[in-house]
Amino acid sequence: MDEISLAINGIRVSCTPGASILETAEKNGIKIPKLCYHPDLEPFGACRLCLVEDEKSGRVMASCVTPAAPNMEIVTDSPRVIRHRKNIVRMMIAEHPESCIVCSKGNRCQLRQIAAQMGIGETDLYSMPNYKQLEVENPFIVRDLSKCILCGKCIRADHELVVVGAIDYNLRGFKSRPATLHDLALEHSNCTFCGTCVSMCPTGALAVKDTRYVGTPEREECTTCGFCGVGCSLLMGVFDDRVVEINPGGLHGSVNRATLCVRGHYAHDFLNARARLTQPMIRKGDQLEPVSWDEALNTIAKRLGDIKKDYGPQSIGLFGSSKCTNEENYLFQKIARAILGTNNVDNGGYLAGRSALRVIHERTDGGRRINPIDNLCGAESILVLGANPAQSAPVLSYAIKRAAKGGTPLIVVDPRKTDLTPLSSLYVPISPNKDCEWINSLAAILWKKFGHDTAFIERFTEGFGPYSDALSSFNPERLCLATGTDMASLERAAELLKGKKIALIVGHGITQQRGGARTMEALLNLSLMTGSIRSKTGGLYVIAKENNEVGAWDMGTVPDALPGRLPLSNADTRKEWERSWNVKISPDQGLNVFRMIEESEKGNLKALYIMGENPLRSLPQGNRVMEAMEKLDFLVVQDILHNETTRIADVVLPGAAFSEKDGSFTNMEGRIECFSEVAPPPGDSKPDWEILDLLAIKMGHEKRYGSLDKIRAEMTRSIALYADLKENTNKNFSWIKETSKLKLFSSNGEGTMIPFSSLGSVETEIADDEYPFTAILGSQRFHLGSGTRTAHSARIRDFGLKGEVELSPEDGAMMNLKNGDTVQVQSREGALSREIRLEKGLRRGLLFIPTAFHGNDAMNLLGLIQLEDTQSQGFKMCQVKVRKA
Amino acid sequence: MKPEEIDWGQLSSIIEKHKTEQWALIPMLQDIQETVGFIPPESIETIAAALNIAPAQVQGVITFYAGFTLKPKGKYVVRVCRGTACHVKGGRSILRLMKKELGLEEDETSPDYQFTLETVACLGACFLAPTMMVNRTYYGKLSPTKVSSVLAQFKKQKGE
Repeated sequence: MDEISLAINGIRVSCTPGASILETAEKNGIKIPKLCYHPDLEPFGACRLCLVEDEKSGRVMASCVTPAAPNMEIVTDSPRVIRHRKNIVRMMIAEHPESCIVCSKGNRCQLRQIAAQMGIGETDLYSMPNYKQLEVENPFIVRDLSKCILCGKCIRADHELVVVGAIDYNLRGFKSRPATLHDLALEHSNCTFCGTCVSMCPTGALAVKDTRYVGTPEREECTTCGFCGVGCSLLMGVFDDRVVEINPGGLHGSVNRATLCVRGHYAHDFLNARARLTQPMIRKGDQLEPVSWDEALNTIAKRLGDIKKDYGPQSIGLFGSSKCTNEENYLFQKIARAILGTNNVDNGGYLAGRSALRVIHERTDGGRRINPIDNLCGAESILVLGANPAQSAPVLSYAIKRAAKGGTPLIVVDPRKTDLTPLSSLYVPISPNKDCEWINSLAAILWKKFGHDTAFIERFTEGFGPYSDALSSFNPERLCLATGTDMASLERAAELLKGKKIALIVGHGITQQRGGARTMEALLNLSLMTGSIRSKTGGLYVIAKENNEVGAWDMGTVPDALPGRLPLSNADTRKEWERSWNVKISPDQGLNVFRMIEESEKGNLKALYIMGENPLRSLPQGNRVMEAMEKLDFLVVQDILHNETTRIADVVLPGAAFSEKDGSFTNMEGRIECFSEVAPPPGDSKPDWEILDLLAIKMGHEKRYGSLDKIRAEMTRSIALYADLKENTNKNFSWIKETSKLKLFSSNGEGTMIPFSSLGSVETEIADDEYPFTAILGSQRFHLGSGTRTAHSARIRDFGLKGEVELSPEDGAMMNLKNGDTVQVQSREGALSREIRLEKGLRRGLLFIPTAFHGNDAMNLLGLIQLEDTQSQGFKMCQVKVRKA
Repeated sequence: MKPEEIDWGQLSSIIEKHKTEQWALIPMLQDIQETVGFIPPESIETIAAALNIAPAQVQGVITFYAGFTLKPKGKYVVRVCRGTACHVKGGRSILRLMKKELGLEEDETSPDYQFTLETVACLGACFLAPTMMVNRTYYGKLSPTKVSSVLAQFKKQKGE
């Protein structure tokens, strides 16, 4: 369409039709004051400060809501406009309490800034402050609605961006204020404490509750969040070299833009926790005693060297971290493979179900890596399986909810109602662990009734014949019954999805489940049949639990693959890396973390080096893990916090949290985000890459890298997936490079076909009469993973969550239980006792147990057994019995 | 109207009737207000769920419009006009008298749910100033004696 030409302050400018006067002015560097406008929100026109005048017509109008029209002659600072603006601000100030001196918004209050710019100090108007009750009960947000100017940013952020609907305007006129339902305090509403509204509030009406620091930070720096795999950009406020405040980074093109979640906003308190490790320590007798870096590193080098000499390299294990940076993970596995000579290297991603994802990785030849969350707003349909992203990856859930609100069909398949079900077009209450069968039934119905994407299948895939034959002999009716759902919901799902590309959102309910690999195969088949994979309007999104789960795998911190996710078993890739590192790489697959524990128990593993993981808390059966580790001759733990595992270590090294070092993380989208140090590491602690670099030298590495850039340079040179990171100095992120040799993912349209796999199924577990309940383990948005870091957040702790076990009211009635009663939950492996909450709508026979609480005791219910093991129940659910304690 | 137990059956039939309409919220609320006499706060979540919007939004609409109320009102709703014309003609005294006669402040309802006293910015019947309405009937050119006699009429009805 044609551009519109108009004049603003005498300058000729042009814009696209529909653009507002305000946007056009700002694009051309002309500033207009405003309080209610935010680029990520729909224009609203509440504050009227952005008034401008059209000299031609003499009209005065709010520029944020008025589209630019041809030949307008806009003046943004005519005497008339200025007079109106001043009056508006004067009236706002007259209604505003005079509490600036103690207001935590301080100099960042936009009302105050604008008043100052306009030269409005004391107004001559009769002061009429509209006092409201100060709300300070919850540990996250202070609400002082006396300071509210009714700009509606909080309400719009709540409705448009995070789609929770906790607040809206209440009452009218002078009495009007944003309010929750029944005007209750935030903690009694469905507010998720994402804090998006707090960051947006132009005045002190909404402020972060933090009694340790009130004031303006000295400086603000951007970084990437260290919690879940979404990888939000954060703006950290620093005072006196301490992080005192966190806001959304608001970077253009970032995943989260103006939003965050409760963890990102408030749980980073752990950075300043008293439990931070600040100096290297060595066990002397029963005590860990502070030592110099030299002594600590020399001890490690000597002990590991001795153990390698005495028992061979396979007696050493290295457990790296899905929370550490790519560069650190690269160096970590290089130390294992090139210096110590072992493939016994793993990272925490194993616990999140990496083995289930390997299937997809193998079948797509490493393709499918890029799935921008932003694409979800244009998805044709969304199918969420085994995931409650509003709890596990909240910022991802915002994108899904926005799409659903915009009319995209959303289907939620889950044994429990999730936070997405109210917005879904269809909710399928499936029996636990029946996803594979349900997906196959859906594929069968789609194929029989509505056909498939023939062009896509012919062009990119092979083996559709046998797959479709299997589908046609499939009996969805029968399987439907087995999955605990009805034909009607299956048909409705097919109806919603027919002819559409599907954006599949897969959570840990699939990847951490027994037989998760088969379900992933079924999902990939469905995705291929509908031509959804690699489509901008479809895609396959796998939720990553931790910030660098994806990157740690890419960097080869796994027992069976070299950097770039190249299989260790392939002699050619081995040769390449052998050349690159100038060493011999063992072709034998190393031990994963479960096998490391088993081998420690047997006495075969003599030393373990742990970086940034707390296996005593995150693995099932903490006690058994502890006994196993106590059998080790030598245990090194490199971490940021005193935790269960550092307590039994022989050497403890203080590392740096993500905000205290340079590095890069790869998020669940396949986006590599680079970040720099925001505040220095506390005490004597050092960035983990530096520790590894120093240690490598002492263990015989030829030369020091000395800088992060040098590690990154080697990494990007040798890992094709990360080749685009090399030139990335100005941009804060780049994407993973597609290296798959499949035609589907190649840019030149050449390559091999992607195969369909046969219809799989997941064996049903035999019902165990003694343990009649199925307990589902899952996260709550206030904690991440095992809760090692989030439990050190003062505010999360103060919120007083109890991690109640959820039970259906019907089962509660049967056992004569009411809310708040304590129950004992017992599985074949272990037990825990917690309070219960009767959750309406939860299916009978199900139990939900939040993880990360009480030292992550939920893991005691699970067996210490590999996910791939046929005996494994998976890490997501187990059979339990319940009794009143 | 005296609040009794909420008739959920009645409520849900109203909600069902309107939920598939376009822009259903306001007609639905009007229907509830009309039938029940007020919009029970306990029903907000049910209404919101039926329309797939946030409960806080429903509450926002209810509290914005003077025509909706979350509290039960009296059988007779007295609205005294505070417009300019009525003010000039002594509307303030009429309101004062009304408060005294009914023993109510503005926006209050008598404990027996017979009377609710409200004021309005203008009833649009300035030629009848000072004026008021009881439910849907206008009473104009008021004087203290006329106010007492009008009220007596309703109080009498109450006695019957």
